[in-house]
Amino acid sequence: MKQFTFILLLCLATGTALAQNDYTKSLEGIEWVRIESKADITVRTHSKNELLIKVGSSVATPDRAKGLKLVGEGGTDNTDVGFYVVQDGNNLIVKSLRKSEDAEIFLPATQNFSVKSTWHGDIEIEGFTSEIEANAQLNGGIVIREVTGPITANALNGEIEVQFKTVKQDSPISIYTTNGEVDVSLPQGTPADLFLSSLNGEIYTNFDLKRPDKDGLKSISTRRVTGSINNGGVSIKLKSTNGNIYLRKK
Amino acid sequence: MEAQTDEKLMEAVAHGNLDMLRILFERHHVHVYNFLYKMSGDKMLSEDITQEVFYKIMKYRTSYKNGKFISWLFTIARNSLNTHYSRVKEHCSDLETVQVLEKEKEDFTHLHSALEKLESSDREVLILNRFQEIKYNELAEIMGSTPGAVKTKVSRALKKLKRIYFENI
Amino acid sequence: MDENHIVALLPDYLDDALGQEERAQLEGHLATCAACAKELEEMKVLFEAFGQEKGATPPERIKTNFYKLLELEKQADAKVIPLNTPATEKRNWTKDLLRVAASIVLLLGAFLFGQQQQQTQSNKEIALLQDERQEIKETAMLSLMENKSASKRIQGVNYIEEFTDPDEAIVLALIDRMRYDANTNVRLTAVDALGRFTASENVKNAFIAALKTEKDPSIQITIIQVLVKIQEKKAVKPMQELLEREDTQPFIKEQIKTLLPSIV
Repeated sequence: MKQFTFILLLCLATGTALAQNDYTKSLEGIEWVRIESKADITVRTHSKNELLIKVGSSVATPDRAKGLKLVGEGGTDNTDVGFYVVQDGNNLIVKSLRKSEDAEIFLPATQNFSVKSTWHGDIEIEGFTSEIEANAQLNGGIVIREVTGPITANALNGEIEVQFKTVKQDSPISIYTTNGEVDVSLPQGTPADLFLSSLNGEIYTNFDLKRPDKDGLKSISTRRVTGSINNGGVSIKLKSTNGNIYLRKK
Repeated sequence: MEAQTDEKLMEAVAHGNLDMLRILFERHHVHVYNFLYKMSGDKMLSEDITQEVFYKIMKYRTSYKNGKFISWLFTIARNSLNTHYSRVKEHCSDLETVQVLEKEKEDFTHLHSALEKLESSDREVLILNRFQEIKYNELAEIMGSTPGAVKTKVSRALKKLKRIYFENI
Repeated sequence: MDENHIVALLPDYLDDALGQEERAQLEGHLATCAACAKELEEMKVLFEAFGQEKGATPPERIKTNFYKLLELEKQADAKVIPLNTPATEKRNWTKDLLRVAASIVLLLGAFLFGQQQQQTQSNKEIALLQDERQEIKETAMLSLMENKSASKRIQGVNYIEEFTDPDEAIVLALIDRMRYDANTNVRLTAVDALGRFTASENVKNAFIAALKTEKDPSIQITIIQVLVKIQEKKAVKPMQELLEREDTQPFIKEQIKTLLPSIV
């Protein structure tokens, strides 16, 4: 019996050792995953209905930290991969506690999520059909590819690049920056109502905008451009204060 | 079951027995509808608001505090109608609504037409008191006034109505 | 007994609601006073008219509709739909009240529009916005602005375009969005929307207050432009303070320096 217990313990120990760089958690009943990080974050899809966190293999816990838990802003490492993960109602809060280590997060393609980088972390997202909110609060940039929206993205100093695969029509897309550029690609046939504005930057597009006449005159303001493409559709607002706006046909 | 007082029934509803609300609805919805119709002269609107009133009773059931049910009911009806009017006044100078009203008015009885000429606060107390047979005590609760003051208001309103009624006969 | 007093008693007399003594007194007076007797006759005619007035019959569908609502409520009773608010958000009773009101309209609307229960909450809200009635529009808008999704909240804010003269409750809710929403884009959209309603003192004051507290430069610059455009003199001082502050972005200082002289 003693021997059996020992083997069991050994197995458990090995188990955790193997999972050193991976962490998984079921997403059953989770409506939104809220990710927050100071470092770079990449979010990709996988086919399981669970959260998977992979951290860079180079993560070395200093020898002195053996037997201690990593403590960061707003939480203690409860995942052994440097993240604090906790369920709050039907939200799952996922916080990266390390200040410099990059991580990859995997979610099912239909999972709604938000990502916030609070320092100089870049956000990279690829392949989702769900609703995404991305916010690079300080110096990070945002790249989002092969998505359908709705997208709500904001960056202060970084730039935002978004490539849509198709554009869902059900609720608005808004992509705002203060100092960075906004670069968005849409499929040519996307029906949309566009609103592009930059206070100090320029606006470039190869879409043919049907601009509403005002007293028979086309709007010629270069600060803001509104108009519809493909007879109008979902609202897409691209806005920057100091950066340029690029809207491309894909 | 039918002999239960409104208050007992509403208490049961407040405690989760939603089926009792059917009895209250059966008892009172015609009164509420008629109050609204006499006030507004608009059947569609009265229908909507009657529904809204009972819906609010259902939703706010736990806020019922053992007062006279009829007072509570008509307080809600009155507020709902007022809210509707203040919204309409603020936002729509809608010709269409007015026209509908004019058309329905052709069917009004002489009394109803006379009531129409009263100020709405006078019209309201008379409709509640004479048609819905709401007594001064409950009327006072609905109006946020005292039974004595309500009685005076009713009697003055009747006098005004009587003058209009006989002027145009 | 003076005549006014007599006349005041007539309704109760006709309703048979007088005490014996008062009744005897009244009858005594009526026998001698022709004016009051005439008054009574007229009142009698009027009361008869009241008695003969036929009540309108409400359509049967009110009942069937309400009973359906009742059934829905019985089901919903077991399963309460949570109305989400971020924990950090300040709550107050008016807001809670609005939320209750909104949820009522939602459920009501869900039924009125024959929507399936399975459909998502926000779809119902959007369907409601297509309804003509202002009140329903407003509550639906308020409710959309409480949605978990930032995109839906932006949609809610954008519905302000449907209103030419919105209720102050709507304006206050937008101010709330500008101040407290967790998402910067929602806040910025709310600022844009509020820019149309600077006639409201609440909006002006909220903008001026925001100049002191707002940290997002895009929001700062938008507010500055609006306040300069309406020539708001009370904005001069907080703008000068922004010039003094170290954490103000240089381009905002530039903008203020350019615009400040134009407020005369």
